[in-house]
Order: sequence, then structure tokens, then C-alpha cells
Amino acid sequence: MKHNLLTTTTIAMLLASGAYAQETIKIGVLTPLSGTYAGIGQQVRWGIDQSVEEINTAGGIAGRQIELVYEDSEANPAVAVTKAEKLFTVDNVDFLTGTVNSGATLAVGQVADRAGKLIATTVSFSDAITGSGCSPNVFRVNARAGQQSEALAAWLKQEKPGAKVYYLGPDYEMGRSTVAAFKGRAESVGATSTGEVFAPLDSKDYSQYFGQLRAARPDVLYTSVAGNDTVRLFTQMNDFGVSEGLTILGASGTVTAQNINAIGAAAEGFITGVGYSVLIDSPENKAFTEAFRERNGADPDLYGADSYGLLFAYKAAVEAAGATDTDSVRAALEGLSWETPQGTKTIRAGDHQAMQPMYVVEVKNGQFTIARSIAGEDAIGPDTCDKF
Amino acid sequence: MPDLISYLQFVLAPQMLNGLALGVSVILVALGLTIIFGLLDVINMSHGEFYAVGAFGALALSALGFNYWVLIALVPILMIPIGVLTERFLIRRVYDGGDRHVSTLLLTFGLGMIAEDLLKIVFGPNTHRPENPLPGATEVLGVFIPTYRLFLIAIGAVVIVAVALVVYRTRLGAMVRAAAFDRNMAASLGVRVGWVYSGAFAFGVALAGLAGVLLAPIYSVFPTMGHDFILMAFTVVIVGGMGSIWGAVIAGVVLTQVQAISSLIISPVWADPIVFGVMVLVLMFRPQGIFGRIGHA
Repeated sequence: MKHNLLTTTTIAMLLASGAYAQETIKIGVLTPLSGTYAGIGQQVRWGIDQSVEEINTAGGIAGRQIELVYEDSEANPAVAVTKAEKLFTVDNVDFLTGTVNSGATLAVGQVADRAGKLIATTVSFSDAITGSGCSPNVFRVNARAGQQSEALAAWLKQEKPGAKVYYLGPDYEMGRSTVAAFKGRAESVGATSTGEVFAPLDSKDYSQYFGQLRAARPDVLYTSVAGNDTVRLFTQMNDFGVSEGLTILGASGTVTAQNINAIGAAAEGFITGVGYSVLIDSPENKAFTEAFRERNGADPDLYGADSYGLLFAYKAAVEAAGATDTDSVRAALEGLSWETPQGTKTIRAGDHQAMQPMYVVEVKNGQFTIARSIAGEDAIGPDTCDKF
Repeated sequence: MPDLISYLQFVLAPQMLNGLALGVSVILVALGLTIIFGLLDVINMSHGEFYAVGAFGALALSALGFNYWVLIALVPILMIPIGVLTERFLIRRVYDGGDRHVSTLLLTFGLGMIAEDLLKIVFGPNTHRPENPLPGATEVLGVFIPTYRLFLIAIGAVVIVAVALVVYRTRLGAMVRAAAFDRNMAASLGVRVGWVYSGAFAFGVALAGLAGVLLAPIYSVFPTMGHDFILMAFTVVIVGGMGSIWGAVIAGVVLTQVQAISSLIISPVWADPIVFGVMVLVLMFRPQGIFGRIGHA
């Protein structure tokens, strides 16, 4: 008993002195652990936990261990702001990440500006975060919405030069903005737009649009419908023979693991652009996916992969700067290149958007296969940030 | 001029044929609804979920190896006991207490929510799709239309005529209508009113199940599919006249044609407001709908 007590005290003293000598680096993870986006938050958490374990085992960042502080953002910008303030002022975190929906990322970015701290998102898609709403204290390491369109447009230019394109989107903000974005990119690489139609969300029957679609005689159809709408659109197009001779491109959420089985043969040949796929054939990705499956019993998706990669960039920046203060780390992150499961990512200094290789994937025999990769520089698009 | 002909052939004609297939789908769902209302005076808010149960039943049975053509007959038969039990143990308990419309509406609404969640628990939230039993397209007057939709239009017409004949032209139908018109008089003339009510409700439920089987290959199968046609089906029943079979048929064809043709000219999003606008106009100027009710005809 006495022996035990002595050991415990010694360990405690050692730990205390260790902590005194080498303080941990505190990183806040503000992510939805409950609510609609809890599934995404789960991937974020899995990815970050795995990277922290690997970094800490290998000796930490410049010899200092990482300590994570989790908070539930409930995917609600108002909650996220309160929790971010708490993380910056009470927990005194050095760096913050994990925000999922774009509204929360933009709002937390403003909190970070006031607190003089840095944040990075690994999930949010909205172009505004590193565009019109950019901030010197906000970074994004995942691909933004525009990069998907860029990747698909690059594919279009190489595979179907001068194609006639028809657009079909769900009639709400996401549908209209994805169609507008892709239309702009497609026309800039020489495609002709032959028409567009917006169908109400949850449409039962898409056959009413097939007449207009046929009359326009396109080579390529771009669509951003999702979920069950995709099942109906694709199978009805197949039934009506509309998809014959037509190449179908779409948003990355159009065909997913949730609906690909129900679409069946009608999904064959569907093409989309993604920032990550478990199929990426590189040693880094193999090691990452194997360890991820081992830990979590599930495949990583793009959120898990992007979150996993983030802290390696932070580690590289802190070690290059030799400090954790905001100005030094910001300067070190700008222009930084580092290795991730998706390949080499580079943070563009002008808008803090990571450039990364994009992948064009195609459905073959009911499975996604990688058709082509597009170099990061070809899929990044112009820098529209004018705040710094 | 060639432009006009190709517009008629490639745009307008297929659009109207598709509208007809959609119309038959809506009428199939609306038939059971209007029969249950006309004969039992019950607004069945769980009708959409019975339709979903029929579709999932077909999915599960075809996974067990049943042929699709067998299921068209088998699923409605299996729906009959479900309908009888629902009427005996749930509807009947609230039928005579207080405001019948409100209490049965609330009861069936709750039943629908439970059924939807049960489907979600048993089959999961994802979409399923049975194989199309008649793949490919057929040419009709220079217009290509999927063979299955032609079959749907044909079998839909057969079902509608058969149902109308049973209700309006048989002794059984006369008994049922008598029970709906005056329960006490029918009972005193020897009609077993209790069984007539159970039978009529089960008949409506079986029709919903039949619609589920027939529409599954086109519209796919998922737990919330019950909401899909139910709004349109209610509109058709209201415009046609609550309880009238021919009213539902005419309103179903007209409203879906309005939807199909208007979505060629204006943004498809406005097709629904036009259809519901028609419903509002009918309610304002002819609240009883185009035709009367079965029991009171």
C-alpha cells in the first residue's frame, strides 16, 4: 500500500514537472456531436483523434504533446459562437478547428479575429469562406465547392471538348448555385449550354422534363439532384431511353453509398469530382484508411480524411515558426505544402485556401472508380479574397 | 411547320402520355381514399402509409422469390386482414364517439406516423427499388413510352372500371351503399353493417396496397413514400367530390394533365400552385366537388 502510494506520488510529480517544463499545445475542436450533422462530426472526431495519436506518439509538436478540447457546436452558428468564445477565453486554446456548416465557420472566424487566434475548417464547402468572406485568421484545408466544378470542367475540356451541355438542378439555393457555378466553368472551357431546368425538390416524376431535354439534344447532362431524387431521375431517364448516348455529370452528393444500390444499372457511367476517395492509390492513403478502419470500424469519408490531414499542417507550421503565437503560425501556414492521404496540399497565401489534387470518379459495375486526377493548380480557380 | 410537328411528337405528346400515367397513379391512390370516405365517412390520413406498406410488402415478398405478377394479386389480398383489424380494433372504437371526422382523422394520422416509423426501423431509411418487370420502351404513334407505363395505364383503367362496377352495379355494392346511406335501415333489412364497414375499409386499404405494388417500379420505395401521392390524391378526391369514384377519375386525369402541360410552359415549380389553385376555386364555388358522394348519390 505504502509502495503504491509512493509510486503514484512519484508519477504525479513527474507528470507535474513534465507538464511544467513542456506545456501541452491545446487545440479546440468545435464540431457537431449531436443534431443533423452528428455523422459528419463523428468523422471529424475520428480523423482528428487519429492524427493526434500519431503525432503525440511520434513526440508531439516540437516536443510538446497535443491536448484536445471538444465542444459540441450542435451545427448551430449561434451555439458555435458561444462555445468558440469559451474555448478561446476559458480554455485558452492555441488553435481551433472542427466547424462543419459554413455559417458556423464564418461566424466562428469573426470570433477568432476578435480573439486574435487562428481557426481552420476541414469540412465547410461555401466558396465565401476563402472568397468574399475571407479572413486573415481563417484557413480551409478541404476543397471548396468551386473546386469540384473546376475538376469536372477540366475533365469536360479533356474528354468532351465543345460539348453541348444541359443542366437539371433541384429548385432551391444549393441546386441553383451548383448549376450556375458549373455552367460558368463549363462555358469557360468551350462547352455550349443548351438549356436548363429546375425541378422541385422531391419530384415524383422527372419524365415531364424529358421532352425539353430531348429537344435540346445535349451530349452531356449536368445535375445536382441528391438522395432519392437521383434514384427517380436516373431510373426514369433509363426507362425512357433518355440516357442513351448521354454522359451524366453531377455534384459529389448526387450518387452516394446511400442511394447507389437503389439506382442500380442506371448509375452506370455517372461522373463526378471529389476531393477524397478511399480508392486513392497511394501509400499514405493505404496506411491512413487501414488505421482508420482498425480504429473506428468504418471507412473514412472526405470529412475524416481532411480532418486527419489538418494537424500535420499545423505541426509543420509551428515547428517551422518555432512558436505558437498567431502571427508566426499564420506566416508559416501561408504557402505551406504538406503530405496528406489525398496527396500534397498547399495553402495558397492569398486566400488561405488549400490547393489539392481533385479526383474525377466514375461509376463502373456499380462501384466508384477513379477515372482521372486533376492537379491542384488546375482545379483551384482564381483568388477572390481582398481582405489581406 | 416541321418544328411544330416535332414539338407535338417529341415534347407535347410524350408529356401528355406521361401525365396520363401519373394521373392513373394518382387515381389508384385516390380510389381507396374516396371509397373509405364515401362509405365510412372516415378521412383516412394513414392511406399514404398503407400505400407504402403495400410497396414494402412487394419488396419483401419479391426478395423471398415471389414473381412480380403474382404480387399484384397477392399483396392486396394480404392487405385485407390489415384493413379489417385496423377497422375492428381502432376505427370502430372512436367511430361513434363525439365528432367522428376529428377523432378518426387524428387516429389515422397517428397510425400513419407509427407505420412510417415502423417501416424505417424494419427496412432502414434508404431507398429501394424493385426491378422493372417490363423494361424497355414501346413506340406508340411515333412516341416512345416505357412499356411499364403503358401497362400501368392499361391495368389502372381495368382496376378503376372493376371497382366502379363492384360499387355501383353489384348486389354487394348496393348493400354497402345502403349501409353508408342509412345504417339503421340497412341493419333492419338484414345487412350485417359491422362486416360491411370492415369490408369497405379493408377494400380501400387493399387498393392502397395495390397502388403500392404497381407504382414501386417507377417511383422507388422508401419509408416516407406515403407523403408522395397523398396530397395530390386528397386534391383529386376533393375536386372530384368526396366519395365519388367517377369524380376522382375525372379530376385525376384533368389535374395531372394541367400539371404536365403547364410545366412545359412555365417553371415546373408553379405547376403545383396551379393544381392547388384549381382545388381552392372548386372549394369556393362548388364545395361538394364535381360529383356527389357514393352513399348519397
